[in-house]
Amino acid sequence: MDILLGILRAILFVVVAYAVVFVAALVNILYERRFMAFIGDRLGPNRTGPQGALQSIADAFKMMGKEDFRPLLADPVLFTLAPVMVMIGAVSIQLVLPYTQGFLAIDLNIGVIFLVAITSFTTLSILMGGWASRNKYSLVGGLRAAAQMISYEIPMLLSLLIVAMIVGSMRVSDIVAFQAHYEWIGFYAPFTFLIFYISSIAELNRGPFDLPEGESELVAGYATEYSGMRFGMFYLNEYAGLTIMSMVIVTLFFGGWMGPWADAITWLGVSWIGLFWFLVKTYILVTALIWIRFSIPRLQVDQLMAFAWKILIPLGLVNILATAAIILWVPSWKWGLAVFSWVVFFAFVGLFDPILKWRLRKQRERQPVVSA
Amino acid sequence: MYDHFETPEPDEAVKLALRRIDEATARGEGSDLGGLEFNEVVVNMGPQHPSTHGVLRLVVTLDGELVKDVIPVIGYLHRCKEKLAERRTYFQYIPIVDRTEYLASINCEWAYVMAVEKLAGMQVTRRAEFIRVITGELMRIASHLVAVGTFTADLSPLGTAMVFYMFRDREIILDLMEELTGARMMFNYYRFGGVRYDLPDGWVERCRDFLKMFPKQIKEYEALVDTNAVFLQRTQGKGVITQQDVVDYGITGPNARASGIDLDLRRHRPYSVYPELDFDIITAQHGDIFDRYRCRMDEMRESLKIVEQCLDMLPNGPVQLGSLRAPYVITPPPGSVYVGQENPRGEYGTYIESDGSRYPYRLKFRDPCFCNLQLFPKLLSGNKIADAVAISGSIDLVLGGIDR
Repeated sequence: MDILLGILRAILFVVVAYAVVFVAALVNILYERRFMAFIGDRLGPNRTGPQGALQSIADAFKMMGKEDFRPLLADPVLFTLAPVMVMIGAVSIQLVLPYTQGFLAIDLNIGVIFLVAITSFTTLSILMGGWASRNKYSLVGGLRAAAQMISYEIPMLLSLLIVAMIVGSMRVSDIVAFQAHYEWIGFYAPFTFLIFYISSIAELNRGPFDLPEGESELVAGYATEYSGMRFGMFYLNEYAGLTIMSMVIVTLFFGGWMGPWADAITWLGVSWIGLFWFLVKTYILVTALIWIRFSIPRLQVDQLMAFAWKILIPLGLVNILATAAIILWVPSWKWGLAVFSWVVFFAFVGLFDPILKWRLRKQRERQPVVSA
Repeated sequence: MYDHFETPEPDEAVKLALRRIDEATARGEGSDLGGLEFNEVVVNMGPQHPSTHGVLRLVVTLDGELVKDVIPVIGYLHRCKEKLAERRTYFQYIPIVDRTEYLASINCEWAYVMAVEKLAGMQVTRRAEFIRVITGELMRIASHLVAVGTFTADLSPLGTAMVFYMFRDREIILDLMEELTGARMMFNYYRFGGVRYDLPDGWVERCRDFLKMFPKQIKEYEALVDTNAVFLQRTQGKGVITQQDVVDYGITGPNARASGIDLDLRRHRPYSVYPELDFDIITAQHGDIFDRYRCRMDEMRESLKIVEQCLDMLPNGPVQLGSLRAPYVITPPPGSVYVGQENPRGEYGTYIESDGSRYPYRLKFRDPCFCNLQLFPKLLSGNKIADAVAISGSIDLVLGGIDR
């Protein structure tokens, strides 16, 4: 009987995970289009269904109806496998995410490591798709994606380590439990959150780090040769990633499902108000992601790599050392950590842009005036 | 199953690119992999690439991210515009001129009409001259808006918002033009000796409203883009056109002025009523992407100034020669004429050879974009792909004018 229940439970969670991916992707596509339209002083899709609510579904059906085309020279196995595999990351990452109290698939004791490991699957399938297409744009896009995602995984991992250090456990449910009573890690370590957030934008291949599919240069990057639902899988994964990554950030830094009256309504052993808070926090972060995309121009490959290797990784290392020292030696380390991290946070946010502009101004002054 | 799909034979441009690679290898100018394999790839950008603005095709030789060589291929939009002129009367050809460089069609019309007027020795009524300047400058603003908008869209998704702001403002200009001419892009408005219609009631006020509103918008765009460190980093010091290039390749327009060459036909080969108007010629010093962008932004301000003065000075009187309408058939004396006009993209010249009949014997356009395109191989080589896209966006090509 226990085995049967276990199997049922497993099926339930897989179904939920897939459902979350698809629903989140469809919702996010519409949300981004409407938000982009709002930023661009337009209306956006508002004809299909009330306020265009069915637009994504119509698009999905359009994609399914398209010809499933594979170029003659493409590698048949990898070309077919890549769009299937691309979902693995987004789906299985949810297995360690507590949506709410009592709604968690597996409480892994190495949840944080699982998170990092499983996100790399996306890189792999993007690289596979780009290589298998036998198209130069796809190849360049795929390689760019691999280089970028591997580079940004390092600062991401560094900030994850800090979270694990603060909590003293790699179990995701422990991380959430630590943040009860509004002791959010995002408040103790805002700078760590900033590094994580920036690298997660790069992980998601989104603007300003959307080089792998920089449409003005590489047509559609690694997905150039894909059409129909195969392309649809890449597309769905990209947009589901917005929600999934925001869920991870909420869990790690903003108290997961914790919130006012989170335990008030419990039904089937699950507290539903917690789920509500979880979604609210997630969508605040999704909005920020979309906003950032349409506010900052795309970086160049060398700038992107320089940003990861020359700025984020050294800062992440310094951050990890300082945090460890504070936890080890400062008696009331929580407050010490908060002071340190907020100071660094404001220093980074306040100084980065002025320093960059000052350097640019100097460069401009040195730049030679054109002459015959 | 995939029998119908075969790898196509490389065409002439691709073969040329491959031959150049072979020649470079023979000369020993391989890529710096320590004499290993020569790893350059030839990539087709266009004619359906998202950032080539129309149907330009660039055969690009890439060494990793680095552009080694560029071969522009044109002709995908060729519609025999010059040959068509030989079977049409001078009057019948006016709407066809509109369709050459479609973003600033009224300026092209102006160049053609001016050439015919010079050939036939016709005078233009004074009110019509002012209306021509007003419409021409409004279209210059509209054209620069498209240029800057699409250029920023090449750089980022931020630009996709910018491009809509700019099209929103261009829409106001197009509405004004629609009210005046009945068309939004292909105006067919200028006539020999004047213009087709007089200004409708209230048009001047509506135009003044636009003049009042638009400087604020320019300021807003500048606040969005000019203070953005990423944008500055990607545009400053890249794609520099030297003054020697400007002279060698015959670059004109904002691209030449951004390199510090003070060349503007409105001032230096004056036509129409420009000598009576007070405006500055915008130049910059560095000749890079950022300066070309700045030149366009500042030129919009100057155009606003010109339009404002014209509205103030607008005289009363007829807008066409004769009592009712412009002459349908004119037969200029035999001879040839060249007239250059300051198009938003540079010198748009019309050369007409007449044999005294109702049809031009030969008609030739000098399109600024065609000359600017010649610089592409030199300008793009040695840059990264992303920079190459930004540079080609900043040059502002219109393929309708190049291919004609």
